[in-house]
Amino acid sequence: MMNKTVKWILWIAGFVFLILYPKLFGIYYSNVFVTFAIFALYATSYNLLLGYTGLLSFGHAMFFGTGAYGTALALTHISGFPLIPALLAGVLAAIVLALILCPIMVRVGGTAFAMLHLAFGSLLYVLTLKLRHITGGEDGIGGFDIPPFSIPGIVSFDMTDPLQFFYFAMAVLVGSIWVLWFFTKTPFGQIMIAVRDNAKRVDYLGFRVPQTKAVIYVFSGAFCGVAGSVYALFQNLITAEDGYHVMTSFAPIMMTMVGGIGSFFGPIFGSAIFGILEELTTRYTERVELVFGLVLVLVIMFAPMGFVGTVKIIKAKWFTRQGV
Amino acid sequence: MNILETQGLYHDFSGLKVLFDVNLQVEAGERHAIIGPNGAGKTTLFNLITGTYKPSRGKIVFKEKDITGEGPWKILRQGMGRSFQITSTFDRMTAFQNIRLAVLSTRGIRFNLFRKVDSMPDITEEAEEILRRINLDSDRDTLAGNLSYGKHRSLEISMALATNPDLVMLDEPTAGMSKDETHYAVELIRRLTEGKTTVVIEHDMDVVFSLADRITVLHHGTILATGEPCDVRDNQAVKDAYLGEMGGEEDVCY
Repeated sequence: MMNKTVKWILWIAGFVFLILYPKLFGIYYSNVFVTFAIFALYATSYNLLLGYTGLLSFGHAMFFGTGAYGTALALTHISGFPLIPALLAGVLAAIVLALILCPIMVRVGGTAFAMLHLAFGSLLYVLTLKLRHITGGEDGIGGFDIPPFSIPGIVSFDMTDPLQFFYFAMAVLVGSIWVLWFFTKTPFGQIMIAVRDNAKRVDYLGFRVPQTKAVIYVFSGAFCGVAGSVYALFQNLITAEDGYHVMTSFAPIMMTMVGGIGSFFGPIFGSAIFGILEELTTRYTERVELVFGLVLVLVIMFAPMGFVGTVKIIKAKWFTRQGV
Repeated sequence: MNILETQGLYHDFSGLKVLFDVNLQVEAGERHAIIGPNGAGKTTLFNLITGTYKPSRGKIVFKEKDITGEGPWKILRQGMGRSFQITSTFDRMTAFQNIRLAVLSTRGIRFNLFRKVDSMPDITEEAEEILRRINLDSDRDTLAGNLSYGKHRSLEISMALATNPDLVMLDEPTAGMSKDETHYAVELIRRLTEGKTTVVIEHDMDVVFSLADRITVLHHGTILATGEPCDVRDNQAVKDAYLGEMGGEEDVCY
């Protein structure tokens, strides 16, 4: 199988690719790539719930939107607020929301879990529209100053420059995805998978199921918050439509399903597939959702394990044929 | 000394009386079998003791501590392991990962987020050692759900034992097994529960008589008799409940 050297070479190749990407593809495609990476992180943190713990949520945009609004509000109202604290403000807002919700959410499962999220998500969407003086209503919050990323006295990067923002966003997003990946490899990650398989037995092995779910829930919410926060910085605008709309909640579900539900990297592939699809579709028509929906239906019908699962099956077939 | 005691235990499911006035006593170090016809309340009694349900009335004392109404995770941490009648493993995890979870629990590793579980050599070693002991080392990386029935049952039983409990509760460990598998499972249980207190629910009388030091007969939700296998066997009330056909090898008692 894959040994350590190959792994390191792949890591370095990926790293070099990321550094050279803006030079190779130009600024337009760099921005496309940032959007892809934001949704990759969003879908990956969502997959902690859906794929690893077996909890389907219809309202995960809550955390994405709260992260985005947290950052946007902090930058609008506090002049001279630095970049990293602004990012953390968004994440903190998402964590607080997760902490408020988790006592209820960890004690329900299945349909109740999905529908409660739909309800709370819709509530936040409507509140964001109605509380015009805070959230800007339908117009959202935009045009706030994006502070430079600076370590005082050493360096300062101008975040309004797309190229420098690209590197900043990559560092945050790839770093976050790595943390999530590590999370799934820890002993706690094993307990998480066990909860999906058989929560009763987890209880009988001496682990506390609600508390375990709560930690996963807050973790997932926090990293959705990171994605949302970077999104707000990237767009320099956050609206109720982008932050809390139910379509934003369904995006990671579709990405996880199409990319491959049983795998850590599935949602990342899913995000890439949808990114490419959107890019191609918008050249011909506005009806992007039509294409997305069609792809989702086809995947569920013919390749229920998604992209990664299908690749695995093909690989297995190919290798057995080699063996014979 | 009694390691486990139930005192006047009652339980009803919305009006349906399942258990009444059950006073079970399990001595430290013995293998205790609970037998009884279908519907006698054996599994319910297990569920009360291990914390699935809260009893309607009565007290459960484990290691001289009142554990009535405590949750399964809390009872397990005090040293009581349990296996299930219907195999209840983590089917999309490998046999090794199943056992490793039990080992992690024993070591108190629950919210560790700073180390990879694969780079904990002592945990891996202990889990592999347990797999070797139950002859599952060749199926280390097989998903639990894909194991053969007998092996799957072995995994079920050994997960209860892997947390290294003082008291093991086995709910029909040989349920659904063939004759050969049963024989193997009994040997396995005998070997693994050496020196541990064991409570076992069992239907197969051959298994009961070959394993148990003492037997409790449960009938219509209450204890009919309790004592050494031969005494229980000769008990008239027990004979009536079982319609005189208790099975077991005749020569055991003579």
